[in-house]
Amino acid sequence: MAKTVSIDFKNLNLKDALDLAELIEEEARERYGEFADQMDIHRNPEAARFFRFMLGVEQKHEDRLGAQRKMLFGDAPREVRREMVFDIEAPEYDEVRAKMSVRQALEVSLRAEEKAFAFFDGVLGEIKDPTVHELFSELREEEAEHQQLVKQQLAKLPPDVKSPMDDADDEDDGPVAL
Amino acid sequence: METHKALPTYQAKDFKSDLKPIWCPGCGDFGVVQAIYRALASIGRAPHEIAFVSGIGCSSRIPGYTTAYGFNSVHGRALPIAQGIKLARPELLVLVAGGDGDGFSIGGGHVPHAIRRNTDLTYIVMDNQIYGLTKGQLSPTSPKGLKTVTSEYGSFEEPVNPLLYVLAYGANFVAQGTPADMSGLADVIERAIRYPGFSFVNVQSPCVTFGMEEQQAKAHKAMMKPLTSLGHDPKNRLAAMDLAQKYGRELHTGVFYENPDPPRTFDGLIRERQGQLETRAVPRERIFDQFLQK
Repeated sequence: MAKTVSIDFKNLNLKDALDLAELIEEEARERYGEFADQMDIHRNPEAARFFRFMLGVEQKHEDRLGAQRKMLFGDAPREVRREMVFDIEAPEYDEVRAKMSVRQALEVSLRAEEKAFAFFDGVLGEIKDPTVHELFSELREEEAEHQQLVKQQLAKLPPDVKSPMDDADDEDDGPVAL
Repeated sequence: METHKALPTYQAKDFKSDLKPIWCPGCGDFGVVQAIYRALASIGRAPHEIAFVSGIGCSSRIPGYTTAYGFNSVHGRALPIAQGIKLARPELLVLVAGGDGDGFSIGGGHVPHAIRRNTDLTYIVMDNQIYGLTKGQLSPTSPKGLKTVTSEYGSFEEPVNPLLYVLAYGANFVAQGTPADMSGLADVIERAIRYPGFSFVNVQSPCVTFGMEEQQAKAHKAMMKPLTSLGHDPKNRLAAMDLAQKYGRELHTGVFYENPDPPRTFDGLIRERQGQLETRAVPRERIFDQFLQK
C-alpha cells in the first residue's frame, strides 16, 4: 500500500522533494533487486532477468535525481528518511510468484508505474512551492512514459499459454541456496 | 569548551543482513521483516544491542535476515530462551518471532507464563493459519472446516484466537497488523518494542503457497479496519476483548490494548532483588568459614 509518513507536502521544499524522489527510486531499485533474487532462488531465470533489468532502470533514475540534488544543494543534510516512504514506486511484495511468466513480471512493473503516477498526481494539488510542483509534474509525466514503454513491451510478448500463477498442482521444487 | 557528540542514527538498511530470504515469492513475511527493519530504525538501538530469538518455521528465519544477534532456536521454545537472555543481559532489546504453530501449538504452554512473568520483550507472531514450511497442514489458528492435507474432509476444530488468548492471560500490550499495511505494521511493532514489559503483536502474514484466498494481501487490503477509525480506546481491556472476538471474521489492525499503567517487569524485579542480596552478600573468602560455622 503506497504511503508516506510525516511528510508535509504543503511545505515541501525542493531539496526535500529531490531527496524524497531519490528515496522512492531507491526503494523501487532495491525491491526489483529482491524480486530478482527471489526468482533466482526459485529457479525462474527469465523473470529474474526482467527484474534485474528494472533494477537498472530505477538505478539510472536514482542516479539522475542524486546528481541534480548534489548540483543544487551539495552535501546539505538530508531531512527525509527512507522510513517515511512505503511502496510508492516499488512493486508490493505480494505481487510476485515463484513461477510467474515474463508477461506477469511486466504486469507487476506496469502496476508499479501506475501506482507511482497516482502518487505524484495525488500530491501535486497539495504542493505550494512552484519548483517542487514543476519537479513532481515532470516525474508524473515520466511515470506515464514508463507505463507506455512497459505496455509496448507487453504487446510484443506472446500471450501466456496458461497462467503459471494459477497452477496449484505444480509441485514447487523448493528454493535453491545462492 | 563544550563538545557535543552526535548520537548515532540508524536506517532500516542497517538492520538488513546479507542473507537472502528463501521464502516463497509473495510471502507476507517479506513485508513483516521490512516493517521490523523500519521499526528498529525508529527505535534507534544499535544492531549489536538487539537479540532476536525465534522458534522453527518459515517466519522463524527472520533473525537471520537481520543484523541483530539471532538465535533460531527450538520449535516452540523461543519464549523461554528469550526470557533467559533478557534476565542474563537486561540491557539488550529482546525480540521474539515465530509462527502461529510455533507459538500456539508447540509452544502454547509457554505463552501464558511469559505473559504473567511480564519479562520485557516483544513477541511477534506471524499468523498464517497454516503450517507452511511443512507444506500445508492444519495449524492451531486454521479456521474450522479448512481442508488441508491433514484435514481432507475439513477441520472439526475451533481455531485458537491469539488475541483473545493473550488478553485473557493479562498481556499488557496487544496489537495486530498485516504486511498489506506496512506502515501501520511498522508503527505497531515500534510501539510494542517501546512498551515496558511483555508485548504481543499478531501479524496476519499471508502464506501464498498454502494459505486461503481470503487470507491473502489483496483480501487484507479490502477488509482491513484500523482500530483508530473505530474510535477504539486501547486503554479499555474489555473493549479490546470484545473486538478480539471478531478474529477470523474481521481484520482489525492497530493496538487492541495498552495498559496505561505498566506493571513492573520480571527482569526489573530480579535486578532489584539481586541488588538487595548483594548488600548482604558474604565475601567470597569467607564463604567457606561461614559454612564450617554452620
